[in-house]
Amino acid sequence: MGEHLIAVENTPARHNMVVCTLCSCYPWDVLGLPPVWYKSAPYRSRAVMDPRGVLGDFGVTLPADTEVRVWDSTAETRFVVLPMRPAGTDGWDEERLASLVTRDCMIGTGLPKQAGTSAS
Amino acid sequence: MNGVHDMGGMHGFGPVEPEPNEPPFHEAWEGRVLALQRAIRYTRTFNIDMSRDAQERLPARVYLSVSYYHRWALGLERNALEHGLIGADEVAAGHALRPGKPIPRMTKDDLEGAFSRGSFFRPTDAQPRFKPGDRVRTRNVNPSTHTRLPRYARGRAGVVEAIRGCHVYPDSVMTGGGENPQWLYTVVFDGRELWGEGADATLRVSIEAFEPYLVAQG
Repeated sequence: MGEHLIAVENTPARHNMVVCTLCSCYPWDVLGLPPVWYKSAPYRSRAVMDPRGVLGDFGVTLPADTEVRVWDSTAETRFVVLPMRPAGTDGWDEERLASLVTRDCMIGTGLPKQAGTSAS
Repeated sequence: MNGVHDMGGMHGFGPVEPEPNEPPFHEAWEGRVLALQRAIRYTRTFNIDMSRDAQERLPARVYLSVSYYHRWALGLERNALEHGLIGADEVAAGHALRPGKPIPRMTKDDLEGAFSRGSFFRPTDAQPRFKPGDRVRTRNVNPSTHTRLPRYARGRAGVVEAIRGCHVYPDSVMTGGGENPQWLYTVVFDGRELWGEGADATLRVSIEAFEPYLVAQG
């Protein structure tokens, strides 16, 4: 699937979120089986119209001026979100940084764990 | 087709409910349906577009009321029937009544291939009509057959952001035209173009649009 996997980067100006409104397309090869909520009518119907409301269901609030970019996976291209690097992680190696990354933040419905909350 | 599967922008489904520590499967049969779906793909009897199409053709009340893997099982059953792998009498009986249609044998050496997605990219000599930055409008079409242009993004003005290569064209696969590969683009729309003046001004939504879905916008 590599040739059709596209990573989209979160920045201070833009938050990315991935959905499949028509079925349940998901980057299985990298994220495994999709959770039930990703395949559900509430997520598929609302993500493209009210992504901030959906983020609220996950307890996530973004700054009011952040662009919210929703990627509807309507073909065989697949998307994975590259989360923003949390503050306080200077000098961390890959393994430590990975410990802050959750599945949901690679879908765009979550944010990475903060440095202080990492088990490592 | 304008089915209930085309959910973008619908109201009334309630909140998203994430499940903490969700298991891969909630019932053992769900894993069996996943395995069936993957195994049958190896026979090359029907492709992913046909699998989606079979689910979309389920009665709306069924599509909305059954669970995800149940819907898969119903789509699988429909395709197996329509492609002559099984008979209606066998579905009713719950077991085989005669020798099955011959299909390629799969051994454990083939497992990796069976479980990875095929490639939908097709090389072409045709040049793409659009380039990144081009202003386009999606066609306002309402085919009764399978399409990957969602209703909420029909007849809307957007901008081509990227060319994703030339891919199998699902609309053609399901109308007897074969793969008929087409250029695929990421097309991005402002939230207000899709949802009107009251929409979130910070929202932008993209779809993956096959070239026949698009016309140039001056």
